[in-house]
Amino acid sequence: MTTLKMTVNLEEARPDAKMQSIVLNAWFGSKQALKDINLTVKANAVTAIIGPSGCGKSTFIRCLNRMHELVPNARMSGQVLLDGKNIYSSETDPVQIRRRVGMVFQKPNPFPTMSIFDNVAAGLKLTGTKKGQNIDEIVKKSLQQATLWDEVKDDLKKPGTSISGGQQQRLCIARAIALQPEVILMDEPCSALDPIATAKIEELIVQLKNDYTVVIVTHNMQQAARVSDFTAFMYLGQLVEFGDTTSMFENPKSELTEKYITGKFG
Amino acid sequence: MTNYSLRKFKNKLFFILCAACVIIAVIPLLSILYEVVSRGAPQLSINFLTQKDADGGIGPAIQGTLILIGLTSVIGIPVGVLSGVYLAEFGNNKYATSIRIVNDVLTEFPSIVVGITAFGVVVLGIIGSYSPLAGAVALSFILIPIVARTTEESLKLVPNSVREAALALGVHKWRTTLSVVLPAAKGGLVTGTLLAIARIAGETAPLIMTILGNAYFFQGFSSPMDALPLRIWRDSLQPYANLQAQGWGAALVLILIVLSLNIAVRVASRGRLRR
Amino acid sequence: MHRLLDKGLEQLTAMVFKMGKVAEKALAISIGGFVRGEDTSEDVHELSEILVSLTVEVEEKAFGLIAKYQPVASDLRIVNSYMKIAYDFERYGRYAWDISFIRKRLGGLEGCEEWIPQFIEDMGEKVLQMVRISINSLETQDTELARTISKPEQEVDEMYFQYLDKLVKEAHATSQCTVSSVLVVRYLERIADHATYIAEAVVYIATGQKIILR
Repeated sequence: MTTLKMTVNLEEARPDAKMQSIVLNAWFGSKQALKDINLTVKANAVTAIIGPSGCGKSTFIRCLNRMHELVPNARMSGQVLLDGKNIYSSETDPVQIRRRVGMVFQKPNPFPTMSIFDNVAAGLKLTGTKKGQNIDEIVKKSLQQATLWDEVKDDLKKPGTSISGGQQQRLCIARAIALQPEVILMDEPCSALDPIATAKIEELIVQLKNDYTVVIVTHNMQQAARVSDFTAFMYLGQLVEFGDTTSMFENPKSELTEKYITGKFG
Repeated sequence: MTNYSLRKFKNKLFFILCAACVIIAVIPLLSILYEVVSRGAPQLSINFLTQKDADGGIGPAIQGTLILIGLTSVIGIPVGVLSGVYLAEFGNNKYATSIRIVNDVLTEFPSIVVGITAFGVVVLGIIGSYSPLAGAVALSFILIPIVARTTEESLKLVPNSVREAALALGVHKWRTTLSVVLPAAKGGLVTGTLLAIARIAGETAPLIMTILGNAYFFQGFSSPMDALPLRIWRDSLQPYANLQAQGWGAALVLILIVLSLNIAVRVASRGRLRR
Repeated sequence: MHRLLDKGLEQLTAMVFKMGKVAEKALAISIGGFVRGEDTSEDVHELSEILVSLTVEVEEKAFGLIAKYQPVASDLRIVNSYMKIAYDFERYGRYAWDISFIRKRLGGLEGCEEWIPQFIEDMGEKVLQMVRISINSLETQDTELARTISKPEQEVDEMYFQYLDKLVKEAHATSQCTVSSVLVVRYLERIADHATYIAEAVVYIATGQKIILR
């Protein structure tokens, strides 16, 4: 098995990088899930992370918003820089990081006891960032950005769970956007959705990159090709190859990458 | 007999066996209900329900039971719910495991022992006399483990994805639990609490040594008080027919209170299920 | 691991390789016939028609594979390139037919000066060699062999311009010979170009790099 080792000067934080992981390792108990990941996430671009099940892609993005440490017995080492500053430094409050780095999950998870409106406003209300802001305006703008406004504008009081799966996922995206994060992490956001809902979300992702930096985990190669500017291929916890999406899909540098994306294994 | 008809026969036999057992299990309940209703119903009247013992009523007993339910709820429900919250949301360590074990043991604790403990600690030690507070404390010892367990179970039923969604927004853990998880588990919490209350409403042994019983209405926190289970017990031991009849009436009232709590639980859960 | 795409790729490859064989045969017959002064137009026409219909089949197959399986990386390069190579083979057939048709319609090298038939035969031989390189390197995926096409490509180009210059300067040949031979020499040069395109595609399929061998 050939692996592509990428070395990075540890002192150097790339200036155009929104986020950067430096020698990132992660464990669940004694099992190592990530090995020395050095990866740069460029600002206002979509970066896709692909790889077979269990390769560590979800673990990786959970390290980007400090959700990994919420799992019992989970630990990590290395650095993750957000705008050049390490988010794991001892003075940094993980809760503040999570407000700047939002996340959308695989299975849509709107708050079951709240209406559509309350769901979108939940982030603002529960984090106390609502002072002096017009919540109605923010909810409307977020739903518009998530291309859901027209479909639900007359039903804002209905429960968040009363809409279809694809709409629920866009609701979760609106909820994340309402807090105006800088980075949006998406963990296989379309895998629970039908093709039409998937297409809508993909269009949305391409629009989102104007205002946000997006990192999307996907096991669908063609989806990565459709929406992302950069792609990282991970295998068994290691970063095998990273590059711009077009050349990675036409002519991958690593034989392992080629085997994976053409479906010859995994 | 062919294979098929042999199987059919076995099926039928098994079914008849099970049905028979069900009937056997239900007969005691039906006979209890029949006895209580037939002997207790004639006693029911406004006089019976509101007058004191000397005037032919069980008013003090009903009042006492309601006071006990109230006091026990005030003491026991917050403690039970918060314990359940701790175990479900923060309880991933070995301390929590031991607490869970202790909790489970307490739910099965003989209620007479709980009563004696409350007698020694509260009646003799703290207050110095029989007291409704002592009764409430004793009943709380029984209520808290049950509420803690059902709260923990209800909270565990809330899918983790909901917690993660809130945490990923940058909501603090305590706020997540309070504003997102607890509301989602509301149904289970209410059900568990109502069932626990129905259980303690009928406990007799802890009351014997904590509130003792009284022929008069509530007389303050340092005096004995009456309650329905006590009334039923005392009356049934009397040799007088009218007092025994009173006991049946009290039994009917107690059963009605417990039944209505159970029905309230059913109504509450059906509402949830429909949604 | 046998993917659904693999069956399609096998069929596509078989069609393209078949086209190569038919095209090579057509060119050999046609060029040989022209040099020796024989009429091969009927046989060559038949072969050319086969190539035209195979081109359509290859196109449809390739588009179908792309739409259904969304191939990536080497699979995508193969499907893309085979479509273009099929067109190059179709061109082989077309030029073979053109050469044999010119001979039938205008006559061959009968009225030419002595040096001309030899020249045309040499050029024809070189072009056939290039055609063989293109087909062999494709079938064996041999990029080394493919790159060797650069040299004869340059030589054929030189011969082409050499012939034109010489013909202009020394205007001794009959107009039948002139017109006939110039057309054929032009076709030969185009065949050589297509052979080079095919060789470049072979390198692209294997390495993902677009190079120029001309």
